[in-house]
Amino acid sequence: MTGLLIQGLINGLILGAIYGLIGVGLNVVFGVLRVVNFAHGEFLVLGAYFAFFLLEYAGVNPLVALPLAFAAFFLAGYLLYFVLIPRLSKADDPEISSLLLMFGVSIMLGALMLLAFDADARSLPYEIEPVFLKFGPVLIPTVRLVALVIALAIIAALTVFLYRTQLGRALRAIIMNRDAVRIVGINAERLSAVAFGLGVGLAAASGVLVAMVFPAFSPFMGNDYTLIGFIVIVLGGLGHPVGALVGALLFGVTEQVSVVFFNPSIATICGFALMVAMIFFRPSGLFGRQALR
Amino acid sequence: MSSSPALAAGAASHRAQDLRAVRLRTRIAVTLFAALAAGLAVIPMATSNISFAFYLMLWITMASAMNICVGFTGYLPFGYVVFYGVGSYATGICYKILGWPILPSLLAAGGTGVAIALLLAPTLRLRGVYFGIVSLALATIVKLVISNLPQSFTGGSMGIILSNANNPTHSYYAMLIVMGATLATVTWLSVSRLGRALKAIRDDDGAAACVGIHVPNTRLKAWLLAALFPALAGGIEAWYTNVVDPEYAFHVLITAKSIIYAMAGGFGTILGPVVGTLALLGVDHLIWQKFPVVNLLLLGLIIVLLMLFLPRGIVGSLIKRKPQLRRYIA
Repeated sequence: MTGLLIQGLINGLILGAIYGLIGVGLNVVFGVLRVVNFAHGEFLVLGAYFAFFLLEYAGVNPLVALPLAFAAFFLAGYLLYFVLIPRLSKADDPEISSLLLMFGVSIMLGALMLLAFDADARSLPYEIEPVFLKFGPVLIPTVRLVALVIALAIIAALTVFLYRTQLGRALRAIIMNRDAVRIVGINAERLSAVAFGLGVGLAAASGVLVAMVFPAFSPFMGNDYTLIGFIVIVLGGLGHPVGALVGALLFGVTEQVSVVFFNPSIATICGFALMVAMIFFRPSGLFGRQALR
Repeated sequence: MSSSPALAAGAASHRAQDLRAVRLRTRIAVTLFAALAAGLAVIPMATSNISFAFYLMLWITMASAMNICVGFTGYLPFGYVVFYGVGSYATGICYKILGWPILPSLLAAGGTGVAIALLLAPTLRLRGVYFGIVSLALATIVKLVISNLPQSFTGGSMGIILSNANNPTHSYYAMLIVMGATLATVTWLSVSRLGRALKAIRDDDGAAACVGIHVPNTRLKAWLLAALFPALAGGIEAWYTNVVDPEYAFHVLITAKSIIYAMAGGFGTILGPVVGTLALLGVDHLIWQKFPVVNLLLLGLIIVLLMLFLPRGIVGSLIKRKPQLRRYIA
């Protein structure tokens, strides 16, 4: 039993790190643009297909496909921003309008994937030798360990970017005060497009990891990942990459340890219940500084 | 001080004018709704193909009830389908498993919807997107809980088949009654004290509290009303189709369509959701017949285009362009 529990705990930490990556991408977009990217999960699944087809037809290693996916989706997100977001600022309630708009985008992307890739669940046929690493009674698939390292590395890189570079500091400044940023002469429009691209790129990168770690992915799974990303944000607090990581680890461990004791859907209920509890007892999240409005 | 009688007289005449305008546009709305209901009432006598009209009433009910929540309170519940789903399950379980007659089963559906709304009421503390997404998470929880109940009770993945309850004409008129009740409620809300209190809260809850409106209680009333009608609609749909389908009963598309139809007409006006449903259900029906494969894609595209180019909906944009029409459009 303890062996199973430790196994659950470790699985929770690994998946938690990937959930953290999902949350961080959502967080950047929401923090900077005040847009809830409801289609985040769909971009993630698209990233998974990206890696799948590169491996299937070009034999590209998923570890190489990951930065490619990030670059390609960053560009797509950067351009998509100008199509979708600027018009929204004229709406009566931009936050809700953006949620609805991205909801429409999410339905569209889901339907497009269904048309292009069929409804079958796919899996990424990728393994690293040795397949399992054995630590005492605990077996860890090597791929999961690699995914954990990559997820943590990306989050670390993003933290450095946000806190140590000029562009990152400007992005954080927008999160804090959008109007003041304009006064000091930062091009908020282009920066917002960068943030949107960054969010979409991160979604695709986490999609590649998801494809490596989870047994299967399908066009219908986007919403589930969007929800996970949002839960992570709520748990960790808004606009804080480290907070999102901690929230995600908490969620991942709760979910995976519950799987040891109950069936998977009860485990999902436990994870969601954790979010609901957090909202009622500490609505600003573990690391949040401002009240949620 | 000397001008106060004149001011008071001016205010009184303005007030009378406002009242006349409200009365006029309410009368217009009531007339239109009555004509619609009368038209729908004779359809089963003329033809046996009542499916389209049935779903028209269903979606008018769903969109108008959504409007109570969004238009009057400013809350966007992404887990709205939960009321519909528990309604249809309550009907199925009461009728099939407990062996109740159909009418009490439908009432049980309404009761369950309101009970679930009470259970979810603490989330009304949240705002904006947080409320929306948390309600989606809670709806998922309710769905998972129902799918984890014993199979003898909920029918598991097979759902519940109501076998001998089937009576399309009766369920058609039940739906008509529920649609009528929904439209009557929305119309009443738009002129009642409660409706004005709700709009005051939507625009500025702090100011509303200052003038003596009990904010949480008032919101709760609207929330319960918004839950009652979809639960009844879910129950009647189960009766009409004779089956409670576990996939469909909690499908996110039900929320999506309720929002889209209401939004296409315009939130916050009582005619809007009806106009939106009439306009889009026909389009949806055509798309469904002609291009079944790209149905979802076009639905998504419609949402995106609506949000980008017509965020206030058909009726809302009309009022925005020609404010004088506000006299006639409730």
